[in-house]
Amino acid sequence: MNALASAPARTGSRRPRAALSPRRVIPVVLGAALLIWVLLPLVPVALWSVAGEWRAPAVLPESWSVQALTSLATPEVLQAGLRSAALGLGVAITGTALGALAAFGLRQLPRTPARILGFILLTPLAIPPFALVMGANVLLLTARVPTFAAVLIVLTVTALPYTTYMFHVALASYDWRFEEVARTLGASPTRVLLSVRMALLAPAIARAGFLAFLVGWSDYITTVLIGGGQLRTLPMLLGSAASTTGGEQLTAALSLAMIAPPVILLILLARSGRHRRSPQ
Amino acid sequence: MSRAALLAAPAVLLVVLVLGAALLTALLQSLGLLPLFGDPEFSTAAWTDGGALAESAGVSLYIAATSTLLAVVLGFLIAAYALTAGRGGRLVAALSAATIPIPHLVASGAIGLLLTDAGFLARLFGMPEGFPQLVGTDWWTAAILEFAWKESAFVALVVLGGISRSAAALSETAATLGASARQRILHVILPLARLPLSVAGLVVFVYTFGSYEAPWLLGPVAPEPLSVRAVRLFGSVDLAARPEAMATALTSVGIAVAVIGLAVLGLALLARGSRRRSRRRSGRHSQHPSPLRSSRRSGAGS
Repeated sequence: MNALASAPARTGSRRPRAALSPRRVIPVVLGAALLIWVLLPLVPVALWSVAGEWRAPAVLPESWSVQALTSLATPEVLQAGLRSAALGLGVAITGTALGALAAFGLRQLPRTPARILGFILLTPLAIPPFALVMGANVLLLTARVPTFAAVLIVLTVTALPYTTYMFHVALASYDWRFEEVARTLGASPTRVLLSVRMALLAPAIARAGFLAFLVGWSDYITTVLIGGGQLRTLPMLLGSAASTTGGEQLTAALSLAMIAPPVILLILLARSGRHRRSPQ
Repeated sequence: MSRAALLAAPAVLLVVLVLGAALLTALLQSLGLLPLFGDPEFSTAAWTDGGALAESAGVSLYIAATSTLLAVVLGFLIAAYALTAGRGGRLVAALSAATIPIPHLVASGAIGLLLTDAGFLARLFGMPEGFPQLVGTDWWTAAILEFAWKESAFVALVVLGGISRSAAALSETAATLGASARQRILHVILPLARLPLSVAGLVVFVYTFGSYEAPWLLGPVAPEPLSVRAVRLFGSVDLAARPEAMATALTSVGIAVAVIGLAVLGLALLARGSRRRSRRRSGRHSQHPSPLRSSRRSGAGS
């Protein structure tokens, strides 16, 4: 059916459109439905985090309380937060550095070896995380790798496909002439690396680092299987709160604690990106 | 050449070592050749309970397929709305993208608070008698909705990243020619989005197939998907359960790799087909090549 041919031409039509024509109503309804789809799951989290008493069938909390939020300041939660942050930063540093090196290496290799190695670096995406961790756990135990380092190693492997891909994309449009100009002007290799390459690749470093941070910050299954409950991170606390009845307030507060840092990081990244692009 | 290989070596060696060791260890343990205690003894006992493995694989495939279908449809709707509805569309796309950093564990907790028997959604509807049970049911509704919610944002992001520039220009052209929003979505955006939708769909399928948190928190006790079964057996005090855990893990690896292989083959054929179609189209010398005409011919909605 020629749908476009039957579309009314915009010119010459003087008839006023009905205020409630389907053409006007459907986009509004679709927009509202999509907005509800995106935001609705976050509403109970926000409400439970500041709820005191909230028994069914009340739609809103009967009383309000900051007790759940203040419970985030307990030593146990703070320590878990620090462990998660350390894991996130650790994966961000190792994953980004190794991913950048790999992307540079692949770019300079002939086509066939570059393809093979690139394929190998993508394989962790194909392996379900729990399967990878179970098998790797035996190796790491045999090698007596400490728990935190073992989790860090496995999560770095998980993050490598993302970080390598980010740098691969960035290098596809990278202009090497900037480095040549800097060298002809007498800059040392270190100076070129720090002032030219790192500066030009800053957006890719930020994106890759953010993704790798997320892998470490939000990991649950690797920490559970390798740490065996010893390494108590924020997701571990959240997992136990969410799987017990009556833990709604704590679940909601811990959820907010887990969402806030990545979202703040994302806003900072977006702002610094805009700032870099704006004319001086 | 050697310097380039040296640069790539740390990452490649780490992946090969961890992945290789993981798969080899899993295989040896599943065959009783690497027991936690005692002497190694070859046995295929862990693999013989085919019924349980097949049931778990079926549950995993069902959850992944349903979640992927929902995520792709909703993700496409978000992307299409973002491209055709001006400021409102951009707002929906931005809010959707902001949910991407939310971890699946958090999303599972949030969906739990929303959908449990006395959850927020039931309260919004005034706790009616016939309100369906959504958490812990045989249909895995809550777990599927968690995946669909999280992954639809990812699908929308991939589609918008892949086609927003070309789609915006063509969609505008279509609008000036009098195409309605529905026609622009079906005849301009959908044909352009086919490849990014397929790629995003594959990524979502593989991820949801191997994911643990949502099925564990929001699913019924039985039957178990592969991930939940493997983790339960892995943590079991019964040492004989370890080979079964590894067999379950390897089953999930095998299915994931097979799905990826088939999908990559399908995507290659799709890309080749669209290249051939575009060559045929450019071969026909039309005086006024219209993007609308070509998008219509490329079988929108297929």
